[in-house]
Order: sequence, then C-alpha cells, then structure tokens
Amino acid sequence: MDPSETNSFEEQWKKAFQEASETPPLSAWEGIEARLDKEERKVVPLWWQTPRLWYAAASVAALLMVGVALWNGSGDLTDAGKQIAANKTQIEGQQADRNNPEVQQTEKSIQDKEEVIKTPDNASETVIAKVEPGRSKIAPAGKLPQTTPEHLASAPGGKESGKLAKTGSAEVLPEGNSIAAARLTEANKVLSSGESNKNEDIAVLSKNTNAAPEVSASAMDAASQILAEALTPIGYKDLDVYVQKRYVFFRPDALNNIPEKAAKKKREYYAGVGVMPASFNPNVKVTSAPSAFAYANASSRSTVGESHAGTSYAVQTQGGKRLSKHWSVETGVSYLQGNSSYEGDGYLIEPATSRSQNVLESALADKNSNQGLSGAPPASNALYIDLKKEFRNDYRYLQVPLQAGFTLNPDKKFSYSLLGGMMANFFMNNEIESASGNVITTKASDDVYRSLNWAATTGLRLNYRLSPQWRATLTGSYQQSLTSGFKNNETLEAHPYLYGVSWGVRYSF
Amino acid sequence: MTFNEHELVIGCQQRNRVAQKQLYDVFGGKLFAICLRYTKNRTDAEDVLQDAFIKIYENISTFRNDSPLEYWLRSIVVNTALNHLRQQKYLKQLDDIDGYENGLSGKELILADFQWQQLLGFIKELPIGCQTIFNLYAIEGYQHNEIAQKLGISEGTSKSQYSRARVLLQEKLNKETRFDDGSVRNK
Repeated sequence: MDPSETNSFEEQWKKAFQEASETPPLSAWEGIEARLDKEERKVVPLWWQTPRLWYAAASVAALLMVGVALWNGSGDLTDAGKQIAANKTQIEGQQADRNNPEVQQTEKSIQDKEEVIKTPDNASETVIAKVEPGRSKIAPAGKLPQTTPEHLASAPGGKESGKLAKTGSAEVLPEGNSIAAARLTEANKVLSSGESNKNEDIAVLSKNTNAAPEVSASAMDAASQILAEALTPIGYKDLDVYVQKRYVFFRPDALNNIPEKAAKKKREYYAGVGVMPASFNPNVKVTSAPSAFAYANASSRSTVGESHAGTSYAVQTQGGKRLSKHWSVETGVSYLQGNSSYEGDGYLIEPATSRSQNVLESALADKNSNQGLSGAPPASNALYIDLKKEFRNDYRYLQVPLQAGFTLNPDKKFSYSLLGGMMANFFMNNEIESASGNVITTKASDDVYRSLNWAATTGLRLNYRLSPQWRATLTGSYQQSLTSGFKNNETLEAHPYLYGVSWGVRYSF
Repeated sequence: MTFNEHELVIGCQQRNRVAQKQLYDVFGGKLFAICLRYTKNRTDAEDVLQDAFIKIYENISTFRNDSPLEYWLRSIVVNTALNHLRQQKYLKQLDDIDGYENGLSGKELILADFQWQQLLGFIKELPIGCQTIFNLYAIEGYQHNEIAQKLGISEGTSKSQYSRARVLLQEKLNKETRFDDGSVRNK
C-alpha cells in the first residue's frame, strides 16, 4: 500500500466530514432537558463531582497516615512489616547471592515497578476524553488484582508476597491506579511464582525487565526477599530529607490590628477632662487718664502701670470627633480662673477721709458711673501719691474652644496633635483689689466688660495611649485674645493672653 | 445573550440552563453528524447524542482549556457511540477478515465531488464493525493499536476490518458515475 495514497484516502474522508453538521431533531434537546431536570431534582452537590476535592481528601488521608507512622516512630512496624523483617533475617545468609548480577537486575526491575506505580497519579488528572478510553484499558487489566492475590496465596512459599500484594495494591494504591496495581501484582506474581522454581514465570519476569538471563532458584528466593525489602516501610530517619522552603506572608501583629482597626472605626468620638495650670495676663492698659487722676494732675502717670501674669488655672472638659486618620475637631467647656496683678505707678488719696484709689479702680469708676466702685469717687482735692503699688486683678471666664487637630502617628503609643482654632471666652466676673484693700467685683451684667471675647488658640498635645480607650494627654497651649475685653476702649484696654500646660485624660468611644 | 466558548464552559459548569442550551445549539449539529456516522439509524444517533450531552454536562467541570473544546466534545461523543455499540452487542464479535489486503488498488478517489451526506450513506451501509473501525481510523485519526485497545480486539482485526471497509467503500464509489455537469449519480 502506498503510504501517500493511504494518507490521501483518509485525509479526503476526514476533510469530507470535518465540517459535517446536521441539525438534530427537536426531540433530542427535549430529551436532554428532561434528563437534566430529573438529575437536578436529585440535587447532587457539585463538589461531589469535583476531582480536586477527592485529591485533596486523598492528600489529607495520606498525610495523616504518614503522620501516624512518624508518630509511632520508625521502630513500630505493621504486622506485615514484622513478617518482612523476619524474612529479612532469614535471608541474611543469602547476602552473597544478592551480589549476583542477575539478582541485581531483578532488584532493579522491582524498583522500576515501583516507579510505574507512582506515575498514574498524574495520569488520573487527564480529561474525561481520556478517561473514556482509559476505562476500556483498565477493564481487562483490572481483572488481574482480583485474581492474582489468590494465586499468590496458593503459590508455595509465596504467602508473604501474597500478603504484600494485597496490602500493596488493594490498600495502599488508590482506586484509580488499578493499572499500576495490576502491574505490581503481576510483578509479585512473577516473583512469588519464581519461588516455586517455575522457569516459565522467570521468563516472563525477564521479558518485563528487558533482559533474558536464566535465574536460578536461589536467586529467585533472594529476589522475593528483595521485593519484601523494597516494600518494607523505611524508617523515617533513613529516608532522604527534602526540605521545602515555604514563604508564608504572615504578619504576627496582623491579628491584633484587625480588631483594633475595627474598634478604631467605632471610636470616632472622644471625651476628655483636664486641669491646666496657666499663666494668665489680662494685659490691661489704661489708655487715657481717669478723671480723678486728671484732676490730680497725674494724667501721664496713670497710664504707666502694667499687668503682671499670675498663677492661674483652668478646668477643662473636651469632646471631639475624629474626622479621619489624622484630622479631628474638638470643642468643650472650660472654666478659667485668670489671676493677675496690676502694678500702678501711683495712687490717689483724699486727705479728708484717707480714702485711696488706684488707677484701675478710678478708670472702672469712670466707666461704670452708675455704680460707685468704692463708694464715691475721690474728691477733686485728692493727692496723687507717686508710689508703686501692685494689686490683684482676677478674671473668671467660661471658655468654649473650637479647635481642629492634626495628629501625627495616630496609631502609635505616643502620638502628637497640633491644635489650632478659636476660643469663645464668656466673661463671668472680675475682681480688683482696691487701694483700701476691698475687693471690687465687676460682673458681666455691669456692662463694663464684653460678655464674649474671641481669642485665637493654638497648641501641641502629646497623647499617650494607656489602653485602646484611654489616653493621657499633655497639652501646651497659648491663647491670645483678639478683641479688647472692655466694651468701651476710651480709657481701658485688655488683650488677655495665656500660656498653659494641660494635664488630662481622654476616653475614646 | 451570546456566550463565548470560555463563558459557555463556565456557564455549563454552573449548570446554567441557558449556557447548556447554547452549547447544544453551537455544537449539536456537528456532534449529531458524528452520531449518524457511528449508528445505523437516526433514532440510535439521537440516543447517542442525548447520552453524550448528558455526559458532557456532567463532566464539563473536568474540562481543561489545554485542548480545544470541540475536540473534547467530539471525543466524548465518539466514546459514547462506542459504548452504545457495545451495549447493543454490535461489537461483540469482530473477526479477522482475510483477502482484502490486495484489493485496495484502484482509480484515484476524488471525494470532493460527493456530498458528505452521500458519503455518510456509504459508511452506514458498511457492516457495523467495518463502519466503526473506518470511522475511528480514517476520520477520527486513531491508530490501530488504539482502536484495538478501545474495542478490546486485536490490532490485526482492526487492520483487516479497516481494509475491508476501504474495499467496500471503493466499490460503492466506483459505482458512481460522474456526469458532465459535475454531479455524481448511480449508474
């Protein structure tokens, strides 16, 4: 037959049917659909048909088996292993025979068989198209494992090997590897029957190993023992150790961070309390001489005095909201006790009554003419005493800040916040120590001071995280009034400022 | 909605009925033609087609994209057809046939002049063993040893059955006369 003609003949037929297509009758799809509906009602889980899961299950089972074997230690052999070990001791006297090249050849063939057993694992992953033809392949071969063990058991002196064949094929090998099992049992069959000194079986063995040497009976005994050795579980200490590097991307603190992050999302609000020792200076200035000082010809001296900061404090409450990782906004209510003093260059004294009056007292009396600050203003014949005298000048404010904060290292133990904003200072009262030692109190209702004073505020806050909820804070702040504290700036001006360091705690929720 | 091949596979894996129907619509015609080649009548071909599609839908999760989908589908249909023939005991006894090896020579074939339906008719007229082996060897492209394994016969049987099929087909083709208008009719 001319090959070119053959190719031509088959190619022509192949080509003729390559695109052949005929619409199937409608009933075909209806039949398929009906069967699909029927199968869907059976509710066969899809995973049941997924080979991967079976492979995974087989892998887990194999790992468990290996794990159990390792756990028991290399010294604990199975019953079959013990029998094999017994056989081993019996044939130690035959070690000389193992040096025989024919036996070595046999040993090699056993190793070859073992390799054959390993290969079908990959073959089982072939697509269904190959499974179908595989079935026909397996079907005839699959008969072997069923029959050979019996045969092996009946073979003289082959009991041990028969047991091995059973354990080797039926238990160890997965069902899909029946071809390999068949081959293994075939090898066992040949080897064990070799013990019965049948030369024809030896010939079969030789055929399998691509060698045709004549094997003596003693050699076959040895071969059977070698097979037993080959199938003996090797102690794990004797196994080659292959180290596999695994790079697992695992961050140890990741688990700790997850709930914290979740908690942080919830903790957008915080509240805090604090106490701020501060240095408060009302910065009061007498811009023009009070009338009494003017009478006393001390106009120029009346404006020389100055305010000194005193030890003050503020009790603060805060409430804030975290807008983003770094940004926050906060407000609160504070009570500020602003203590200070005023050092006047001199004071007035009325000789008749010995009443005295300092410059602030006099200026406030001018502003608040309806209410005598210290009874009646000094008489026009009062004398100016050119003697410096410092007297107390205290303020009380209710403060409502509105600040924005930018926090650095918000997730760290220590974090820093830059603060900036406005402060609404609601005037409560002012106490001035008069020259005579009395305290003159000016209230908001007296209409001397502005009831609301705006101040700019800025600061730096150090946060220390005590727990996920609690933080200790240390805030340095500076407040500067933007407007004068007095309603009428003709004679008096006040631009208070404050330095303070606040200690506090904050609770996030 | 029209799926591409990859989407069709995924849809069928998810047992989406629309995808299943579309797979049938796209490939049903070609696969039915294969069924017709392996069977003697349309009823059997329809049965094979139904069995094949059920098998396809059930096993499509095992399909890997390393081979063309159509090749995979054709393989399933062929195997289903062979199973069908086995069940019907058509392939129970296939014997060696002697005397056909020398009868292959003849005039050069030009199948291009024939419609595939005519050629299909010739194939269907073959004895079932010859029909099957001819399909597997000439059209599907399997080797004789593969066919022997598939059908559980000897390689020699496969070869002799094929030779017989070839001779019979050639005889049928030789009966045809080509007319001037290019058409091919019976003598």
